[in-house]
Amino acid sequence: MRSKLAIAFGLIAVVLALTVAACGGSSSDNKASSQPAANATAPKKGTTITFWIMPNGPQPQQDMEKTVAAFTQKTGVNVKVEVVGWDVQLDRIKNAAVSGQGPDVTQAGTTQVPFFAALGGFENLDNRVSEIGGKNAYAPGVWQTTQLQGQKGTYAVPWFTEARAIYYRKDVLKKAGIDPATAFKDTQSFQQTLQTIKDKVPTINGKPISPFGMPGKKAFDLVHHVMPFVWDNGGAELNSDASQSTINSPEAEQGVDFVANLVKQGLFDKSMLERDGTQVENQFKGGRLAVWIGGPWVLSTISRTDDKNWVPAARANVGVAAMPTGPVGKAYTFVGGSNLMMYKSSQHKNEAWALMKYLSGDEVQKQYADVLSFFPARLAPQEQVGQSDDNHKAFYAAIQQGRTYAPIAQWGPIENAYKGRFGNILDSAAGQGKQPFSEAEVKSQLNAAAKEADALLAQGS
Amino acid sequence: MSTPTLQPQVSADVTRVDVPASPPPKRRRKRRNPLPYWLIAPALVVMLLIHVLPAAGGVVLSFKKFNLFTFRELFGAPWNGLENYRSILLDSDNPLHSGFWGAVQNTAVYTFWTVTGTLVGGLAIALLLNRKMRGQRVARTLMLVPWIIPSYVVAVLWAFMWQSDVGIINKVLVDYTHLLGHRPVWLLGPNTMWAIIIPSIWRGLPLAILIFLAGLQAQPQEVHEAASIDGAGPWRRFRYITLPLIRPLIGVQLLFGVIYAAYQYAIPTVMFGTNPGPDADLMMTFIVRQSFSNSLYGLGAAASTMLMLAMLLWVAVWYRVFRRDLEVT
Repeated sequence: MRSKLAIAFGLIAVVLALTVAACGGSSSDNKASSQPAANATAPKKGTTITFWIMPNGPQPQQDMEKTVAAFTQKTGVNVKVEVVGWDVQLDRIKNAAVSGQGPDVTQAGTTQVPFFAALGGFENLDNRVSEIGGKNAYAPGVWQTTQLQGQKGTYAVPWFTEARAIYYRKDVLKKAGIDPATAFKDTQSFQQTLQTIKDKVPTINGKPISPFGMPGKKAFDLVHHVMPFVWDNGGAELNSDASQSTINSPEAEQGVDFVANLVKQGLFDKSMLERDGTQVENQFKGGRLAVWIGGPWVLSTISRTDDKNWVPAARANVGVAAMPTGPVGKAYTFVGGSNLMMYKSSQHKNEAWALMKYLSGDEVQKQYADVLSFFPARLAPQEQVGQSDDNHKAFYAAIQQGRTYAPIAQWGPIENAYKGRFGNILDSAAGQGKQPFSEAEVKSQLNAAAKEADALLAQGS
Repeated sequence: MSTPTLQPQVSADVTRVDVPASPPPKRRRKRRNPLPYWLIAPALVVMLLIHVLPAAGGVVLSFKKFNLFTFRELFGAPWNGLENYRSILLDSDNPLHSGFWGAVQNTAVYTFWTVTGTLVGGLAIALLLNRKMRGQRVARTLMLVPWIIPSYVVAVLWAFMWQSDVGIINKVLVDYTHLLGHRPVWLLGPNTMWAIIIPSIWRGLPLAILIFLAGLQAQPQEVHEAASIDGAGPWRRFRYITLPLIRPLIGVQLLFGVIYAAYQYAIPTVMFGTNPGPDADLMMTFIVRQSFSNSLYGLGAAASTMLMLAMLLWVAVWYRVFRRDLEVT
């Protein structure tokens, strides 16, 4: 019996020793990774690196494998592409960063980069990014998404970009007698356009059409739709050093009020608040909305006959305009997309960087962005895509005026807090809130959002 | 015969089994067979690893300042004492305090209506299906359909059906039957609670029907016939014969129904996303959102521990109320 116990304890001791050794290994990896990349060497042939992507486009795995085939041919480095669903990517990327058991390179949403960088599991690429042109190769709003405020370093390279712009029905505007060139010039003309559509074009081709619609709190990107109006009014999500929420400032309140009043005035189809982003997109495609705010990925679906959500009249009459200019004289829009990050735990950093560099090439960027119907992150190929037609031109202009959120680790939770409160305000404007809609109610919800955000910001102190 | 005296006689007759008197136990000490212990050992180990250890870990983390900035440290995160509990339970300055109590209230309302609706509806339908009629088998099979549909699909389907403009529910209530003069909004505001309660009852009904039907069919017909001869009407037979005999079945379903409803997550999340809003935010949506979307792991663990304690309390109360039924069955 004693001998059995001794064996058991012995086994436990071995397991513990191996565990401690494994932990020690990861810390030494960290030390090695913090060294400058001056000792970077050419990628080794025959090496295999793992690359996590999210479900981009209709065939994510095949599209990416096709994209990296030329890289493998050129460098001899094999790339194992793994698709990670958007629903689990936050947890998987985070857990891999903490455990040191993950891929070499991962895709990450632009607003997630600061959060992941704060975990400490990703390479600082400061010494490498000059090889792809550094910050000058990207629009400022795009480059900002690679940083972590308060910490020196570049934790990602921009990969592909999107921005929000206004989609409208050309035939509806024509019937209403509105000139598309001035219809969405500023927030006043935007509102007037919706009012004119409501008054003059309640139906088109015998079917009812609402002037405007946007998803409510069910949409993951509600904040991306509301914040441009806050920025247009001179408001901001946080103060300049990102230490305090300013979402309850009078300027921010004006922006939120503008959107809520569209609901109140009957210009905004309130049934859209019951739907998520994709469902509202399909309402525009289905001809029930005259104006809608969306991303560039919808452009490529216009010519795709397999997208049955389009009705012929809507498909034939899509127009795109940049977001309206607000009282402060700028036409802000949200700019997002995805970046590439390199894990500190990668055993093949040179090969990983070679892949990131390859994916940052102008031609590769353009090809892959075409497949996804996004925009390349780099300025040069971005401009080429932007000049392809009028609708792309509008998006290109939007990206140049694009703005994103403060690059802080807590942004994700803060965005959730804002999303909940914006949703409550829109529900209340639709007559479905806990409290009736009023200025006081908007103020109260924004104060609550600011309080929640401040508590989240205080975590880091 | 007065009916109240009928009940103990009947239940005793039906459920008690006479066991022949066994010989007095022998004093000789038997050697214990270790096989049963080996057989349950794997299950015990798995239970410990999958249930007990993570639950204990969760309780430990609820006393830690475990958030985004201490995530790497896990159990090494700074000790926070009872602060996580105090801040959401008592601190009105904490922005999550009102959200927590809102979720508690919503969960209580959701649990009450879901469990009541499922049990009352299940029993009523089981009584109907227990009567002899044409197409009885087909009706029973159809009644079981919602049970085989996953919660995710249930939520997606109902989310479409509840849409105020094109959903089938408003079409029936407003356009086809004219029962209502306006189109109610189900997926926003106060009605969101009903939008999750009704699909939950719909999904839970088949199991309740199945269990009640099995119980009803096991009841001896002679007892009902004897009561009828004695002049007991349908209501009295139900009140004093059927109900006491199925009391253990009600008890078991009540136990599991409350626990299942209190831990409900799939239906509100699929229908409304991670933040169902102040009218339909349940404990589980609150906990998952704060823990995993907002990285407030310690605080989420505290809320989770409180929910677990509430369920333990419920099991204790339930045991006191239904202990006798367990012994009888």
